[in-house]
Amino acid sequence: MGGVMTVKRSTVAKVADLAALVQHECTDVLIQYRNQENLPNDMGSDRLVFVSPPSSQLDIRSKLQSLHSGLDKCYSLLERAIALEKMELDRDQMSEYKNGRRRLKEELLNLLKSTEELLKAAGGKPVRNQDDLEPYHPNNVFHLKLWVYSVYIEVKLWSKTAFTVMKELQSAKEPLKRGKRSTRRTLQ
Amino acid sequence: MSRLLNIPTSKPNCGLVWVAFVLLGISALNAQAKIVLTVPQQVSLSANFFTQQLTIFWFGGEATTFDVIILRTEFNETVFYNTVPAVVNQDGGRHQWTWTSVEPLECTSLSVKICSRDGMTKSEWSEPQILKGRDLPSNSDHQVYPQDKVVPVGGNTTFCCIVEEGKEFRDLLYGSIEMNVKRLSRRSYAATAVYQNLSGTTGTNVLCRLRDKLAGSVIFVGYPPQPTNFECLTYDLTSAVCYWDTGRATNLYGKRKTSYSINKRVCPDRTCVLPQWDGNWTLVAVNPLGQYSLTYSAELLHRVVPVAPDKLADAAQAWNATVHWQWPYSSYSTLALVCQVQLASRNILLRNFSGVGVRSVFLPHLHPNTKYSVRVRCGSLNHFLKWGNWSKEFNFTTKSYAPEAPDVWMWVNRDNSVRVMWKPLTQWQSHGVLTGYEVTLWNLEGNEKQTNNLSPKNNSLNLTHWASITGDKKAIASVKAKNVKGTSKPSSIMLGSIDDKSAPLAQTIYTSSGFPLSWQHSDNRSCSYLVEWCEAVCTSDCAVDWIRLDTGSSHVSIKDSIVKFQPGVRYNFSLYECPSVSPVLIQRWQGYIQELPPSISVNLEINQQDCDVVLSWEEIPLAGRRGFLLGYKVYKVNNFSNFTLLDDLSPEVRTYTVKDLYTSTYKFTVKAYTSAGEDTGGTAAITLKQCADGLILEILTALGIVTLLLTTVSCFCYKKRRWVKKAFYPDIPEPKLPGDWSRTQGPLDVKPFPHSMVHIIEKPERDFSKDTLVIIPEEEDYEGEGIGDEPVDTDEPQLLRYYNQVVDERPIRPRFPDSSVSSSSSVDSANTDVTYTGIQTSHSSLVFPSDSQGFSEGFQPHSGLSLSSGNTGEGYHPQMHSVALGGNLASPGPIVEPHAVGSGGYKPQNSWLLDSPTEGDENSPAPSLGSPTSVASTQFLLPDRERHEEKRQQPPSAANWFTNLLSSAKP
Repeated sequence: MGGVMTVKRSTVAKVADLAALVQHECTDVLIQYRNQENLPNDMGSDRLVFVSPPSSQLDIRSKLQSLHSGLDKCYSLLERAIALEKMELDRDQMSEYKNGRRRLKEELLNLLKSTEELLKAAGGKPVRNQDDLEPYHPNNVFHLKLWVYSVYIEVKLWSKTAFTVMKELQSAKEPLKRGKRSTRRTLQ
Repeated sequence: MSRLLNIPTSKPNCGLVWVAFVLLGISALNAQAKIVLTVPQQVSLSANFFTQQLTIFWFGGEATTFDVIILRTEFNETVFYNTVPAVVNQDGGRHQWTWTSVEPLECTSLSVKICSRDGMTKSEWSEPQILKGRDLPSNSDHQVYPQDKVVPVGGNTTFCCIVEEGKEFRDLLYGSIEMNVKRLSRRSYAATAVYQNLSGTTGTNVLCRLRDKLAGSVIFVGYPPQPTNFECLTYDLTSAVCYWDTGRATNLYGKRKTSYSINKRVCPDRTCVLPQWDGNWTLVAVNPLGQYSLTYSAELLHRVVPVAPDKLADAAQAWNATVHWQWPYSSYSTLALVCQVQLASRNILLRNFSGVGVRSVFLPHLHPNTKYSVRVRCGSLNHFLKWGNWSKEFNFTTKSYAPEAPDVWMWVNRDNSVRVMWKPLTQWQSHGVLTGYEVTLWNLEGNEKQTNNLSPKNNSLNLTHWASITGDKKAIASVKAKNVKGTSKPSSIMLGSIDDKSAPLAQTIYTSSGFPLSWQHSDNRSCSYLVEWCEAVCTSDCAVDWIRLDTGSSHVSIKDSIVKFQPGVRYNFSLYECPSVSPVLIQRWQGYIQELPPSISVNLEINQQDCDVVLSWEEIPLAGRRGFLLGYKVYKVNNFSNFTLLDDLSPEVRTYTVKDLYTSTYKFTVKAYTSAGEDTGGTAAITLKQCADGLILEILTALGIVTLLLTTVSCFCYKKRRWVKKAFYPDIPEPKLPGDWSRTQGPLDVKPFPHSMVHIIEKPERDFSKDTLVIIPEEEDYEGEGIGDEPVDTDEPQLLRYYNQVVDERPIRPRFPDSSVSSSSSVDSANTDVTYTGIQTSHSSLVFPSDSQGFSEGFQPHSGLSLSSGNTGEGYHPQMHSVALGGNLASPGPIVEPHAVGSGGYKPQNSWLLDSPTEGDENSPAPSLGSPTSVASTQFLLPDRERHEEKRQQPPSAANWFTNLLSSAKP
């Protein structure tokens, strides 16, 4: 009883817009963070998300699976980063950076859920990251700052990846198939 | 020693020796013990990396002071070398001494050696003990120390960077400032930040940069805690609530922020609730930079602050109300309280009430049908500390009541009919929802009574249908307002016409406080006043407002009200005395809140009156004035719409006469103006017709002036005729003929040579003076003395000018080379200094262009039949010319201008007479023409020619007349 569920292209376009929004918001937060912490512009970052990026060789479902895993890890990292910052450094007053950080978290969650919906539509199954069981503990504040910076870099990278994947989906002719469902979902 | 003891001496002496030996032995043993100091044993190190302290332990025998030397192991540099006192532990006699390092102990390995010291004596150094740094090859990471250090503002901190094995150090930054580094070891670099300022909220980063890698540390610079204003109080008479201010911001947040505790109970910031009233409290504030303590003591009843009253309720009447509330704690029932009630409606009132356990208050003097907002707070009556919190606002509305009497006034329309008006009752005055108005009219003379019930929306009643009150008859109008609770008292007014002409009228100028009106109040007046105002241009159903003033008032300022003041609108203000009984208008004012330029221009009429122009216009309607007219400006409109102000007239003037105008078209504009400026103006144009009187007067004036001028000139010339003659007609010098001349003296009898004889052909129909030529021998010497210096005959300037040109040009370029041949013979033969100037008449000169070439070319066709034969080199042949001219005139040449031809051309043939050195016959036709004369004397020749011509064709002109006058004046 394999079938194909249709997903409107406008839905994919909305997810693409959401990815662009996350990317834009993350860029702003990165700039604010770099200014606040007086970090050098040429500073490198560590990779924190060890998920294979969705290559063009993969089918849509695999791409979405990879994308969802990456975004899920990003969201976990961002949650942890915010919690650690609050614990180590936070003061009560709100700031532009903290507002941006809050918006980024909300928009990233939206992107994650939207991607999850698309993944489900494509017949995929969201997989929860297992490495959340051992959250990051910084050795010192400077390590924390570098780590937070790397988290933002990852979020920016994966939101960009999400945008690229969504654009590919918009132009793809392959229908979004849901494995063993009788209903059909295709890109319209 | 035994032998010494066995020496056979006296017994007492042996004893002394023995004692001496024993003492010497003991002394020697003591001396040996001082010299040999114990080397410190079992030296060990204990490092506290956080505090950067190094504690050294050792066993050191009897010594009380030790020398300690600390070196950087790798470079063998001494970091510390000093004599230190050592503390001996009670447990086992182990010595210890603690050293605090400026640099973090992780930066590099340190070697420690100790020796015992006794004065100047010291033991050998102990074996070095090494505290391993983090720059050992076994730890190849890129590191920065110290990490997450918290320091007070103004302190110094030394950082070190251990470069990753095999990498190259680049720089060490404190924030964004590069620090001066000192190398501690092969891989370790250190730098000190001095006088540190407050760090950022997330600390200041210290970055150690390699070429391609970054390590760092964060330092937090702040202050130790310093809370203030610590106090405790009770709300419920059981527990304690303590408050304090955090004081100066510590600049430390997150993990490093200040923590507080009271009596060892952890508290949040600024406030802490303790379940029991202890009476004594200690606040301890702690952060990484230190701690601070504050204590407070108080009795319970001295620190009572009641909580906010709860569950307010009301029992409201029309004019008063009672408000109840509840207390959450039963203990308040025995507490003496003072409570404050805030009552707000149109304004806010505060009333205080006191008592034991107060739970309600009575509020008198309220207003019917009015919404009130009330809130309550209380304090301890006996030991008032401060007010408790306000209760929540509680709203109630008083009951309705009969309305107030309305304020009644009347308005007399233009047709003398009366309108009874009353001000609509406000919610405050109506005491409830109005149901209507009752208007009763009572004719005093006819004892008529009429009642009208009007809806609450009405606030006036026109009495046009009740004719009996018009004229001198009096009537009374009573108005009552009604609501559900009853009817108001009646408000009455005496109706009748009011004389509004006798009251003085003044202007009032609007200010920020309104229209200021003031009047003289006399003490014998006992009535109140009423000021009424409305738009000045209003005719019927005007928006009218009024204000009643007490007896004795002498001024008031009128602001916006029912009548909304507008710029450019005139308002009338009327002051009435005794408005309710028998209103008398005692003063009037007019004013604008803002004057504007008139919106309507005058309607300008223009008329001619003789040679004058009369402008007239009508008054601008009141609505169009938009301000008090200050006058009219009369402008004359010139070309290009330029205005010339002719006059500025007062506002009463409405005509203006423009005098002394010439016959032409004129345009005038009249602009009315107020203090705000002019209007656009009314414009009218007129074309003046010829006015006879002026013309005649002009002609007569001109004639009179000419006559007077001529008379004056004539008289002058006659009186000064000698001078005039000398100036304009000097005597002609006699020609002097050098050499052998046929006639030595006397008149020159010049007879033309045969070859130069001019044959004059009489042609009556032709003017020979134009057609004949005279050969003039030229004398160049004369030409140098041109007549330019001579007085110029102003009657014929053109003639003279041209003549001068002829004279000037000839020497430069012979114009008639051919003629020179013929003339030269005569000149040469005669060899006289004479010039025959008769050829140079004005008319002939006009014929030829001044250009010599043009002249030559132009001349030849003209005289082609005779003069152009000069091509043969024969030159000028006037004989031929005279013959040829007849034909030439019949067919005028293209170059000769018609008027030039007509004016005569060559004429000397006609006057070819025997020259005389003296004046010829006066009657001779041309006594001087052809006569030998100087260049200057050519002036002399002209009048004769003119006169000659005059006889034949010209009427006497002014110039000729003048010339004749001069001629006749010759002696």
